[in-house]
Amino acid sequence: MTDPSTPATPTVEPTRRTLLKASGLAVAGASSFFGPWGHNRVWAQAAAPKPLVLGLTMDASGQYAASGGEERLGAMMAIKEFNDKGGVLGRHIEAIHMDTETTPATGSRVAERMITRNEVAFLVGALHSGVANAISQVAQKYGCIFMNTNSSSPTEAGKDCHRTKFVWDGNGTNFAHAIVKNAIRVNGKNWVLLTNDYVWGHSTSKATRAIVEANGGKIVDELLVPQNTRDFASYLLKLQQIKPNVVAAAIGGDDIKALRQQVVQLNLQKSMAWINNQQDWPDVYGLGPESIFGVFGTTWYYRLDLPGVKEFVAAYQKQFPGMAIRVPGNVFHNSYMCTRELLRCVEEAGSTNNIAVIKKLEGRKMAARDRLQHFDAWIDPATHQVQQTIYMASYNDAPAEKDDIFKILANVEPKDVADTDAVKSCKLETYEATPSYQQ
Amino acid sequence: MDSLLSLLPHLANGISLGLLFALIALGFMLILGVMETINLAHGSLFALGMYAALFLVAPKLGWFPQAQAAYMSLPIGTRYAIALFVAPLLVGGFGLLLELCLRRTYGRDPLYGLLLTFGAALVIEELIRLTWGSNEQQLALPATISGAFMLGDLIYSRYRVFASGFAIVAILGLWLFLERTPYGAIIKAGAHDSEMVRALGINLSRLRSAVFALGVALAAIAGVVMAPIWGIRPQVGVDAVVPAFLIIVLGGVGSLWGAVIAGLMVGLVVGITGAYASEWSLMSMYFLFIAVVTFRSRGLFGKKSVLEA
Repeated sequence: MTDPSTPATPTVEPTRRTLLKASGLAVAGASSFFGPWGHNRVWAQAAAPKPLVLGLTMDASGQYAASGGEERLGAMMAIKEFNDKGGVLGRHIEAIHMDTETTPATGSRVAERMITRNEVAFLVGALHSGVANAISQVAQKYGCIFMNTNSSSPTEAGKDCHRTKFVWDGNGTNFAHAIVKNAIRVNGKNWVLLTNDYVWGHSTSKATRAIVEANGGKIVDELLVPQNTRDFASYLLKLQQIKPNVVAAAIGGDDIKALRQQVVQLNLQKSMAWINNQQDWPDVYGLGPESIFGVFGTTWYYRLDLPGVKEFVAAYQKQFPGMAIRVPGNVFHNSYMCTRELLRCVEEAGSTNNIAVIKKLEGRKMAARDRLQHFDAWIDPATHQVQQTIYMASYNDAPAEKDDIFKILANVEPKDVADTDAVKSCKLETYEATPSYQQ
Repeated sequence: MDSLLSLLPHLANGISLGLLFALIALGFMLILGVMETINLAHGSLFALGMYAALFLVAPKLGWFPQAQAAYMSLPIGTRYAIALFVAPLLVGGFGLLLELCLRRTYGRDPLYGLLLTFGAALVIEELIRLTWGSNEQQLALPATISGAFMLGDLIYSRYRVFASGFAIVAILGLWLFLERTPYGAIIKAGAHDSEMVRALGINLSRLRSAVFALGVALAAIAGVVMAPIWGIRPQVGVDAVVPAFLIIVLGGVGSLWGAVIAGLMVGLVVGITGAYASEWSLMSMYFLFIAVVTFRSRGLFGKKSVLEA
């Protein structure tokens, strides 16, 4: 009921003029609220130091897409840890990622674009050695430091080494040294090499051949497997005809997944011994126990009985809940350690200047406890490859939990598996010949 | 003599591989032959077939645990059979939706259809990634078709024999459908002269929808059959679309038997080079393609162009 003492609010009929006026005011108000953002962004940047941008050159498609995803998570976890502490040199760290498509030409184009247009301070990431080599040539041209996280062709720290490139993974020679001698003794002398037909496969098989022959074994055949082979039936028939004691496979990414499944379908894992030079965690995770046959090399396992490993796994699970790969593996570990060490070196150098950071990285010693491995690691100043513990593993027939699929058979000190040929073939550019680069 | 004997298993393997290649190419052939649309989403639909089968063999029904338990209590053989027949229907239904989008490109520059199906391929692959993740998955098989058997002193995969047999049945089934049913006659007539078919009162847009859905369902059947051999991963479609395209052009666009014979030729060439010059095994199919197309540009069984008359 309306109080008769209160004057009724006069009803104003909206006219065209009042409507126009109101609309004009609304537009003016809205425009002052919504813009101009370009100017505001400039002001914000002027007040805060420029972010430090890392260019993540990692595969999201192609043969190594699955491992590329894990690499990205490793780098992101390291970056987050630094950002939580306030960044590096007072600068917030940002990352941009572009898919290198497991294709060298794409890797080269992505690196060029990241350096020239996105002005990244450093490049991080690689799985396919051909892609890594392509990226590193561009990086060297500009002087931009490139952290090769996970590609493991011996050529990466050998004939294709560069002053600006640091190779973080164990290479084919390291793994061959760790595995071959014992395998000849246990399984026999007649070997067949099953080689992915690109630089990693070739250089790894070359190293395996040399070590097999040096230890009294014989390579009876080498079958080259083109990349993206999905049907291994003809290779498996050929292996049955040759009947070797040992098949040494240097097959990676999606190809090794398909190979493992097809070997199991024919039960060939029982009639000949299988060695896979290096088994990346994303390439075997979820395959099922019967597909994880043979002996293989790795640089890390999530159930190593070492201080800090459980916390590292917990940090992964906290930051990336609900991931298809529930626990981190060697690819994640390499990428995390590599990014963390790079940022530490920037901090210690007090600058992002490439030469200053390179000098901090060269010869750098990293404690076993800090890297969650059995032995201390270091970066060889002559080749820029990280010398680290190599583990030999097989399928775990007594798993403590669902993801516990590896049984670590042995760990080998870095000095015992050193790639001495790399030192001979690597010719690093001089500091003077390396362009100065700073972002 | 010994070398000939050692060649025999590789010939058998090449034929089996060829049948599987032909199966992969069938759906692609149908859509290209009848609708003159290069379906670049063929590989992604092939992958979707794999994932649909994965769901039907081992469903994860988080909100309905009892339904999941009841379904999983069915024997694996039954679930696999359901997957083999229902997955293509589901993906074929999806194909109907995709064809609705494709309609806008009919009668226009073929580039529009190409771009649309390329975009669809990217979208489907990302949808798969979001739904099932990017990790490798495996399709469980009934014991009767898994494992191996000995023939002479060599071991063969039982599943491979089953898959080759299934490919033969699928090829013959499609041939019978196209050659011995009134629906097949309409489809072929539509490919030959669509205006005349329309003039005879046949709903052309419905015909196109049906053909597209059938082509997509065939892609899905190939996906289900190939899943245990190639493994299941979101990007697996790329491995299917390239040989499918090559086989269609090699066999002659629109020719069913052309596709089958081209598939067999590709299988034999890949299988034999895989055994004797393994580094050339994938490249060999391209050499075969170049050799054939150089001398016969319309493919082995392609129709003669009016310009050639």
